[in-house]
Amino acid sequence: MRVFVDGREVYLRPGMKVRHALIQLGLEPWKGELILRDRWGNPVGLDGALRDGDELFLHGKPTEKLSQEHPTR
Amino acid sequence: MTLRAFWRLILVIGISLWSSFSWGEPKELRIIHFNDFHGFARPHRPLGFKEEVGGAAWMASLAEHLKGEKPAIFLAAGDMIQGDNWANLFEGRSVIRLLNAMRIDAMVLGNHEFDFGPGVLGQRIKEANFPVLGANVVGMDGIRRHVVKKVGEARVGIIGVITAETPLMTHPRNVRGLKFLDPEEVLARELEGISKEVDIVVVLSHCGYSKDREIASRVRGIHVIVGGHSHTRLDEPVKVNDTIIVQAWEHGKTLGVLDISVDGGKVLSWKGGLRDIVPSRWGPDPEAMSIVEEYSRQMSQLLDTVVGVAGVDLDGENVRERETNFGNLVADLLREVSGAQVAMVNGGSIRRSIPRGPVTLDSIYSALPFDNYVVTLKIRGRGLWEALEHGVSGRGGGRFPQVSGIKITYCPQGEPGKRLREVRVGMEPLEMDRTYLLATNDFLAAGGDGYSSLVQALDEGDKMENLGGALVGGSITFSDPGRWVRELLAEKVKEKGTVSPSLEGRIMEACP
Repeated sequence: MRVFVDGREVYLRPGMKVRHALIQLGLEPWKGELILRDRWGNPVGLDGALRDGDELFLHGKPTEKLSQEHPTR
Repeated sequence: MTLRAFWRLILVIGISLWSSFSWGEPKELRIIHFNDFHGFARPHRPLGFKEEVGGAAWMASLAEHLKGEKPAIFLAAGDMIQGDNWANLFEGRSVIRLLNAMRIDAMVLGNHEFDFGPGVLGQRIKEANFPVLGANVVGMDGIRRHVVKKVGEARVGIIGVITAETPLMTHPRNVRGLKFLDPEEVLARELEGISKEVDIVVVLSHCGYSKDREIASRVRGIHVIVGGHSHTRLDEPVKVNDTIIVQAWEHGKTLGVLDISVDGGKVLSWKGGLRDIVPSRWGPDPEAMSIVEEYSRQMSQLLDTVVGVAGVDLDGENVRERETNFGNLVADLLREVSGAQVAMVNGGSIRRSIPRGPVTLDSIYSALPFDNYVVTLKIRGRGLWEALEHGVSGRGGGRFPQVSGIKITYCPQGEPGKRLREVRVGMEPLEMDRTYLLATNDFLAAGGDGYSSLVQALDEGDKMENLGGALVGGSITFSDPGRWVRELLAEKVKEKGTVSPSLEGRIMEACP
């Protein structure tokens, strides 16, 4: 399925969740005061289910960009 | 008929009609609800929070208080029994006991309710003192399509529906023989039967907020949708057409409250919102607290339990540098449980070593702390080569691979992008145009650590078909989102008794 995070396309396998969209963008969903909102402006959790075409928007403090070394994993 | 008898008949009909229009007082009703609890029974402090939130015992005491104020029903919108160790270590039994103590009135099945398999789910349903709903699930014993509850003066019809995509969200064996019908079609049918019997129709939905909006816009006759699945925090009720939609975030962090006034089949007024569960602000419910503590104690005992023996030191220190026996053990496990040809995990998914000797559950859970699950996908040899090249070129970092079914030779000092020199699958050289079955974890399958070639594998066929609950086709052949890798490893160690993985020359260094 294809979803959008701040307008950026993300391709995910069926059943994957909000956290997987962030992982693909190299964003660290485990850190920071990250708030994600759906297209209607409602906050959603990292384990929230996604559907094809869903849109997410990042709010709050910017998340850390993952380094190639991914020190936290 | 005499004139007198005629007027008497008219009077009787008139009284009858008058009463059927129920010109009485509007009926007041409170709906208390939560969703996507995932076994988070204990207070916890999510990232970005300044204090602990959640805690089922505090939610229970708030719910009791709210029930005491006016006629109320307490509903759970699915994904209750799987997630946190507090739930998983007991296959959800702890959660059902808790929900019984919280005196919930109905629960709808969520996709994660199936994660322990149909046998365990059937047992959990038997243990529940409340109806478990799933109107669009065909073939599951013990569940009900709807239930009618008398709440104060109001008769409330509650219909439960779950996402039709459930077979895509759990291991195929968990839903074998079951069918998940389109919620909208099922609701339209159920409404025909129930609408005339009740004052208000509530749909308990585990379909997600965007789907709930679609249902509200297309299916008439639903007064309230109490939702879950998308973990949406709806701070206020939302109205779509004539339907009010509510949802209360996740993990027991909030409790939803909706007060409505109904008359003649119509909602006259409503008011609602979310109440944050903050343990520092009021006291816990004693009964719920005793259950939470009882299972917490059992959990500690279980974590200290020796599940097997490590015949050798399991090396989790060097997983970012080279082949390790612990990496081999985990990669082999993924390949074995999925039936894939090859397997690869990121070294960073293994966080600690386990010394030779008795292995406790806690040591396994500490070594593999992430909630990773197994994903198997079809990938061309070329894509697999690219993934491995990406992995070995990140030596020293979390993306360095640990593999199974593959032998790699690479030059650490080589030119970036050209460090990989040889890849063998079994005894044969990797064929660039051949399709392989690769088992990995969901983190890498989502493209984590920069593994973009695993995401590109999606282009090679993302069309999944759900045929009677089984997945057919697509780039994924196996996905088990309800079982963490650490749980699979614990089962493996328990089954084998002693594990003694060794180095086998799976990742070799050689430079020209």
